[in-house]
Amino acid sequence: MAEEHQNQIYLQPIPVRIWHWLNAFGIITLTVSGAQIRFPDYIHWLGSYKSAIYLHNTAGFVVAISFSLWFFYYTFVARTMANLYVPKVDDFKSGIMRQVKFYFLTYFLGWENPHHPTPDSKFNPMQKSVYLAIMFVLMPLVSLSGIFLTNVDPLRSLIVMIGGLKLLAGLHFLLACCLVAFIPTHVYLATLGRTPTDHIKTMWTGWEDEGEGHTEEPEKSNSTASS
Amino acid sequence: MFILELGCSRRFLSEFLPKGKYMKMDRSINYLWSLLFLMVLAVPLSASAMEMDDCLGCHGDADEVGDELFIDADKFIPTVHAEMGCVTCHESVTDEHPDDGEAVSKSDCLDCHEELGSQYMATEHAEYAVCSDCHDPHQVHGIEAVSGPTMNQQCSQCHEDTDVMDSHAEWLPQASLHIRKLPCITCHTSAEGYEIVLNITQKQKKAEGLKGYRFSSYADLKEISGEKEIQSIIDIDGDNNISLAELRTFNRNPAYKNFHLSGTMVPSEISHDLTTLDNRYDCTFCHASGPGSIQTSFLALPTEDGYYRRMTVEKGAMLDTLYGTPNFYMTGSTRSPVMNIIGLIIICGGFIMPIGHGTLRFLTRKNRKH
Repeated sequence: MAEEHQNQIYLQPIPVRIWHWLNAFGIITLTVSGAQIRFPDYIHWLGSYKSAIYLHNTAGFVVAISFSLWFFYYTFVARTMANLYVPKVDDFKSGIMRQVKFYFLTYFLGWENPHHPTPDSKFNPMQKSVYLAIMFVLMPLVSLSGIFLTNVDPLRSLIVMIGGLKLLAGLHFLLACCLVAFIPTHVYLATLGRTPTDHIKTMWTGWEDEGEGHTEEPEKSNSTASS
Repeated sequence: MFILELGCSRRFLSEFLPKGKYMKMDRSINYLWSLLFLMVLAVPLSASAMEMDDCLGCHGDADEVGDELFIDADKFIPTVHAEMGCVTCHESVTDEHPDDGEAVSKSDCLDCHEELGSQYMATEHAEYAVCSDCHDPHQVHGIEAVSGPTMNQQCSQCHEDTDVMDSHAEWLPQASLHIRKLPCITCHTSAEGYEIVLNITQKQKKAEGLKGYRFSSYADLKEISGEKEIQSIIDIDGDNNISLAELRTFNRNPAYKNFHLSGTMVPSEISHDLTTLDNRYDCTFCHASGPGSIQTSFLALPTEDGYYRRMTVEKGAMLDTLYGTPNFYMTGSTRSPVMNIIGLIIICGGFIMPIGHGTLRFLTRKNRKH
């Protein structure tokens, strides 16, 4: 085992991988069924409207459960939630700009990614900010609005109080569009590893190639320099 | 016949009498004819008006005639049936009633309601219930004057609420929401056209141990409108038509925060064929028919006598993104085109990175070959 993963680090533990793929398939199912629910006159991919509704509700339930799994794992088991997802002062001061500079300039010049992931620091400063918004704002809001929309009758007073059913449905739709918009960006960025499938393999097996000379040193020296 | 004879006499006189004499006689015949015509018209009118007052003199008092024969005048008088007078349906009643001891005849509903009646008689329902089991002829009103829950009371006389809920939950998503929001006849008739009816509802007081919303009564709304007509709460310009701007003003008014407009779908024409057409089991019959089918909508305002009157609502109100009808949303059919465009722009935004970055990545691929 040790031989096999000599130049690799174990980046994605099993609970994270289960969550990720449940989430991925769940969100794709929600997108397709959601499209049919909103545009039934044009989209019939999942057969009847009723099956689209049932599938949407089930997938929503699965995604909500997997979200809980993710939250529970990082908060109580790995206890790395804050470290991984909350950007630090340094990230705002220089980290985000450094990463933006890499993605939009130095990457094209052939430079190395200034961030090298470790289990305790999986995300670069830019990823951190984006994932923070997605996992702590978008996902909870879209799930919550979905829960409200499946329980309109018992939650009627609350729905009227927050501005009405139409506002809620509109919010659910627009937030879902934001999540859908993230998919192509996410998949594309996943191909920016050493090979196009590197990061995707990592999310399946858990192991990431460290590559030559990739230690935590450059990251540390960078942050020291910037601070 | 009488008129025909008069016509003949006039022709005869004009031919045989001198012109001056004929004209004088012609005027008096005209006068006589008009008088007779008025008498013919006036006799049944005065009789029926008298009859109804006479009838209600006894039948409007439960102590005098008993519960079975009691007619609630307040509920009967506003009906279309009352306009026709009692004797129209109870033909055999005499001036000596009830001393003559004769049973009073009742006319058959089908005598007038032939089409609806024969539709109903062909259904299985006819084996179990006659017209009067659902419709009290002395309190009956048109579909536009009755709220959805009141319509459903007729059904729930025989169909237990729990049975209805269970049988629908077996196949219908959001069964409870559908059953609470819709009149049964929206699906269980052969009517193909629908319209949206908005009712003013208000939050029930927690202090009284009540939850949720109930339909506002005339008295509830009168409390707010004060000396003005209750319609002034929404119909600001008093033109008996609710514009989108008026709906938005009502929905945004903080003074009405405990009120909201609750929408429902009702058939646009009445049918008594209670069979459920196959297309009702296809959700897209309602949920995909698109904006066209829900463009006709009305506001139902409660009347003093406990019924409703409808006011037309501007087309497009059901599709307004936010404040037009904030609590009326039917998945698939009330989607807002504005929202669709914003959503599309957001999704397209997600492709900027793969396409833009991907193109530059492809063009600079040589730089990364090391």
